[in-house]
Amino acid sequence: MRHPVRLAPALLLVAGVVTGCENPTPPGLTYSLNANIVENEESDLYNEDLAGDRTAQAQLAGALEMLFGSPTGPGYLLPEEWIDDEYNPSWGDAELTDDQWSELVEDNARALKWQLEGIAQGNFEAVVPPREAFDLQEAWYDYVADWQELRSEVELGEAEQSELDALASEITEEGTAMFEEWYPSLRESAEMYRQQCWHCHGADGGGNGSTADFLSPRPRDYRRGIFKFTALDNKARPRRDDLYRILEEGIYGSAMPSFKRFSKAQLNGLVDYVRLLAIRGETEILLSTEYDSEIGGFPIDVVMQTYLDVWAKWDVAWDEFISYDGEVPRIDEESIAHGRELFMDAKTANCFSCHGEDGRGGGVSAFEARALNDEIQAELDVIDAALVDAKKHAGGIAKDEKHKQQRHLALAKVERLEKRRFDLVNERVKDDWGNEIEPRDLTRGTFRFGRRPIDLFRRVYAGINGTPMPSHSSLKGPDGERLLTDEDLWDIVHYVRSLAVRELEHAPERGDEGAHGI
Amino acid sequence: MRLIATLLFLLVPILGVWTFWIAPEHGWWFPKSVSSYGADIDRLFYIILWMVGITFVATEVILAWCIFRYGRKDPSKAAFTHGNHTLEMVWTAVPAVLLLFIAFSQMKVWADVKFGDSFPKDGRFTIDEPIGEVWASQFDWRVRYPDEDGNLEGADVIEKAFEFTVPLGEPVVFNLRSRDVLHSFFVPNFRLKQDAVPGMVIPVWFQADEPGEYDLICAELCGWGHYKMAGRVRVLPADEYDAWLAAEREALYANGTEELEEDE
Amino acid sequence: MSSPTTRELPLGIDDPGTVHVTHEHHELGFIRKYIFSTDHKVIGIQFMFTGLLFLVLGGLMAMAIRWQLAWPWTEMPAVLGFLFPETGRVVSPEAYTMLFTMHGTIMIFFVIIPLLTGAYGNFLIPLQTGAPDMAFPKLNMLGYWFMVPAAFCAIAGFFTEGGAAAAGWTAYPPLSTIESAAPGSLSGQTWWLLALTFVGVSSMMGAVNYVTTIVKMRAPGMTLMRMPLSIWGLFIAALLQLFALPVLTAASIMQLLDRTLHTGFFTPTNLIVNNVGAETVGAAAGGQPLLWQHLFWFYSHPAVYIMVVPAMGFASDIIATHARKPIFGYKPMVYSMAGIAGLGFIVWGHHMFTSGMNPMVGMTFMVSTIMIALPSAVKVFNWLGTLWDSRIRFTTPMLFALGFVSMFIIGGLSGIWMASTPVDIYIHDTYIVVSHFHYVVFAGSVFAIFAAIYHWFPKMFGRVMNETLGKFHFVGTFIFTNCVFYMMHQIGIAGLMRRTADPYSYETYQHLQPLNEVISISAFLLFAWQAFFVVNFFHSLFFGKRVGRNPWNASSLEWDAPSPPGHGNFDKELTVYRGPYEYGSPEVEEDFLPQTRKLETKQTV
Repeated sequence: MRHPVRLAPALLLVAGVVTGCENPTPPGLTYSLNANIVENEESDLYNEDLAGDRTAQAQLAGALEMLFGSPTGPGYLLPEEWIDDEYNPSWGDAELTDDQWSELVEDNARALKWQLEGIAQGNFEAVVPPREAFDLQEAWYDYVADWQELRSEVELGEAEQSELDALASEITEEGTAMFEEWYPSLRESAEMYRQQCWHCHGADGGGNGSTADFLSPRPRDYRRGIFKFTALDNKARPRRDDLYRILEEGIYGSAMPSFKRFSKAQLNGLVDYVRLLAIRGETEILLSTEYDSEIGGFPIDVVMQTYLDVWAKWDVAWDEFISYDGEVPRIDEESIAHGRELFMDAKTANCFSCHGEDGRGGGVSAFEARALNDEIQAELDVIDAALVDAKKHAGGIAKDEKHKQQRHLALAKVERLEKRRFDLVNERVKDDWGNEIEPRDLTRGTFRFGRRPIDLFRRVYAGINGTPMPSHSSLKGPDGERLLTDEDLWDIVHYVRSLAVRELEHAPERGDEGAHGI
Repeated sequence: MRLIATLLFLLVPILGVWTFWIAPEHGWWFPKSVSSYGADIDRLFYIILWMVGITFVATEVILAWCIFRYGRKDPSKAAFTHGNHTLEMVWTAVPAVLLLFIAFSQMKVWADVKFGDSFPKDGRFTIDEPIGEVWASQFDWRVRYPDEDGNLEGADVIEKAFEFTVPLGEPVVFNLRSRDVLHSFFVPNFRLKQDAVPGMVIPVWFQADEPGEYDLICAELCGWGHYKMAGRVRVLPADEYDAWLAAEREALYANGTEELEEDE
Repeated sequence: MSSPTTRELPLGIDDPGTVHVTHEHHELGFIRKYIFSTDHKVIGIQFMFTGLLFLVLGGLMAMAIRWQLAWPWTEMPAVLGFLFPETGRVVSPEAYTMLFTMHGTIMIFFVIIPLLTGAYGNFLIPLQTGAPDMAFPKLNMLGYWFMVPAAFCAIAGFFTEGGAAAAGWTAYPPLSTIESAAPGSLSGQTWWLLALTFVGVSSMMGAVNYVTTIVKMRAPGMTLMRMPLSIWGLFIAALLQLFALPVLTAASIMQLLDRTLHTGFFTPTNLIVNNVGAETVGAAAGGQPLLWQHLFWFYSHPAVYIMVVPAMGFASDIIATHARKPIFGYKPMVYSMAGIAGLGFIVWGHHMFTSGMNPMVGMTFMVSTIMIALPSAVKVFNWLGTLWDSRIRFTTPMLFALGFVSMFIIGGLSGIWMASTPVDIYIHDTYIVVSHFHYVVFAGSVFAIFAAIYHWFPKMFGRVMNETLGKFHFVGTFIFTNCVFYMMHQIGIAGLMRRTADPYSYETYQHLQPLNEVISISAFLLFAWQAFFVVNFFHSLFFGKRVGRNPWNASSLEWDAPSPPGHGNFDKELTVYRGPYEYGSPEVEEDFLPQTRKLETKQTV
């Protein structure tokens, strides 16, 4: 300490190196196993056998990594028959129509206009590919490095200027094409997902990112393969368009924003990656249900069969698509009145029982369920106490016949109580993800799937996946005919739209100065 | 130390001016102004920039010179003076006049942009018949266009997410509203910023003079997703705008079959 | 008194080794003497250590913010990454809002204000006015100890569910009042409000003390116009606190009520926040968010002057001492400080030009705000007048004080853009504002604090800080400060918004990333460079060269006391005969004439 002058630069160096000069890298994310299967005993997915078996868990994780890779290298395993059919599920661009593809190229030209301008001006060093476009960056910087090398050679007189010009025009041409036809790979989309979606939806799409706990509604857990908002009937898996639409429009009334600011290629890439996460999660759940502790582990044929089964589900058939043949009826007093009648009719649409007579969401059954929740909770507490008690009696080694008898009775009680407990827990009004939910307040005017009549029609027609909102087109009368015709559904839609006239009516009048308060 | 200090303090005005000089060519400068009052605001900025710049260079150079000249080792005593009344009067009065000039030169533009009286009255859109409403919420922009009867409350209004489409070359008046917390409507290219306050209806106007797409930015902290409120303002020629609005009204009653056709 | 100055001595330091052991009036135990002390000097030093500790904390947060702005969503180095273990050493968006909120809060309420008014206010006021201690020593002690619950509340926020407050240091409702609006509004915001209230009480006790001491306890002959400008600065800052703080305290209590009892002063009717409706938000009371902004800025704009007026005073003292020349225009300096403070009360609306406030009102605020540049300009001109024909000694405090003047010019001038309403429409809340207030508060006030630490260190601890290290510290700090904050002007002109976690997702901002990287690297270097200061500070504390009463040959009153001063400060009767800046007076042979020295001429009848 006698030589502070010498000491300080050394300290400075250390501090400088540690704080400043590390190369920034994305965090090393990993997929983890679905906590609902292996940890969360409350969940319907909880698998006791698997939860207790570390080896099997490792095998499951390994199987999933084989099928889907890791966040830093995602991709699908290609079975032989797919290779024969030249089918590669990694690439959403394969599924795009020519029109969509040319639209995408046009949109790239818009979104990457600065880069393209830079290329056109021959200002190669200033062209920076998008942040997440690793492959594009690599390819482009290779070009630039070649060009720089040749340029320095020209400066030293080792190469001809004409060679440089030729290379420049080649780079201009191919670079322009490269940027315009850029479609992100799954790896690039995974990085974009990490930048834009990860903090809510989590690394493996479990809706468990760091921000998730503070959001209402909670971010979607993709891993069940259930998506609320699709244009499809019969709970079919979503089309790319359904997912794309959510990315483009956002979900009004939730924390999901619109990502319109990104190019179509980027959004399509995100759709690809979300599909991968959803398919991965669904495979995981199916595999876990097929786990047999006697065999132990996951045989490869089971894994592959499950994988193909899940893919089959995702191969969406267009006949599930809901559209209405004919012109959408316009809203009028008569249809609103009829819609209201159906809305209030317990025998047909029965909307009021959840959404309330005024449409504000506090329906009788919702209230009942809520009141029931308290009762259930009280009962659950009693059961839990009894369970602890019973388990205590069942534990230990039976010494004589009397003890054996007691132990037998206690075990039976445990079983009974646990079954009752399970039933009770599932009686609450919850969606499929285990979140407690409330019926929508229809007067707020925020319809998450969109407020066009056809959007509402699809909701009434097919219900909302994963929630108690039922499909109204499948309600059958005594003779097997549809209880509600399409026309009836339109009337309900019109009534609902008439409810949602305007939220927030208490805005003050504006003053003379223009609008401003003091 | 004297020379090092002189150099350091002299570098401040030199590099200070230099960075302002080179900034525009690197794009570290105003985005292009495309609104009717953007140029006025820029002009006022430049007036202040020049006045401030000259003062900045003058004071910093005098400071550096003092350091250079009076930092020499000199056994004599400093000038023993406690001030100069005339000098004080001069350097109070001159800046006062300049500052008052700056203050009064701002007023007209401010009144034009923000005063309710100076909102455009002749065009299609006025303070009483706005083009629509822009609703901000956590973390969402919704633009609501009236239905065919000019009604902003009916079931047939058009709502667009994150995209505000406006006609070119005519004054656009809209009402800015918020559903939850404070937000701010900021379009750098228009030089326009206005907070959206829950419980208040705030009319705002601008006139875009070039077609194109411009970033719409939320400029008031609105929560963790503040940076996610990246909207766009699309400026279309008036006829295209009308066609677009008509198409949107048509599309409101789409029956879904068009999606089928698209894919087959 | 030390021997008359000789130019041969390095740095104007007088004979080393003159240690003064002062008589203690009564012996106190360690705890009473150094911890629960009523001695203004010990309290000042306590404030100083607390402030410097929080400076490190706030600085670390700034580093994390800069990392995110340069390389968004990437893994941080270990030094910063440990703050975010759950997200793989990456800032999450809610953590980012928390970071800049707490960075601002800590830097303003726990660093700048405590260091300026708490540390140097306490230390200097009795010494420079010739008082034995503060007017209310116990109140003074209580004032410091109210910082403890304040600091506890500020830190506690980080450990609650949802984390610390995340509504910006301005805490605009309804984001801050509605629990569902942000993770930080769950309970972090309540802790934040409590911290603010405690800090307010602490400052209030200090302010009462300062005003009373300055008004009532000056030494004989110490007229108001013979006080050093530091004392004027602290006096004016204390008055500002006395008048403005009650408003903030009331406002924060109102916000506290909004949050806990759902009174709805600031929350309008019928909000739906985070899908939670008005009936659950519970604040359907027809409140006005703008009311908070008015109340908040009614305090917080004067608070800006609380943060800079004492710094101006310190700089004036230090410049006069080390330039060996009287302050040019002492009275204009005093009047301009008072002018800044007075105008400071009628300019708060310039924070609200785009807030939806009546634009008519904005116009009057614009005029008053632009006019506040006038006293600031007068001060700068007077500093330059002081330097003119002076005899500058390049000591570390002098370099920092000159740095203060140079940086304050930048910060003051860029303020004119913000004052101008039409230009402010564009630049409001952009990085040009960030640049402006960091030039004033960091490059201005913190430089003045560094100058004050180097300058008064001998008086505080009886030892002088190492000059070589000090100069290294200054050069690097000066260069990197400008590298960090100067280019923010251009970034702001390009429209970059503050408080944006990932600006590059906007097309408009994408090309600013390289520049932000340069700024961030400069910021890391600036932070790392402070190692020179830390080493110097602690080394000098224990091993620095011992000096006598008046190492700088200064003429103001504190240098007449022993170094460090004992209990009761002065070991002799004091009479003040003249102003504090009689340097280069022809009356005496030396180039300084202490305030207490009686001249043997017949002029003093």
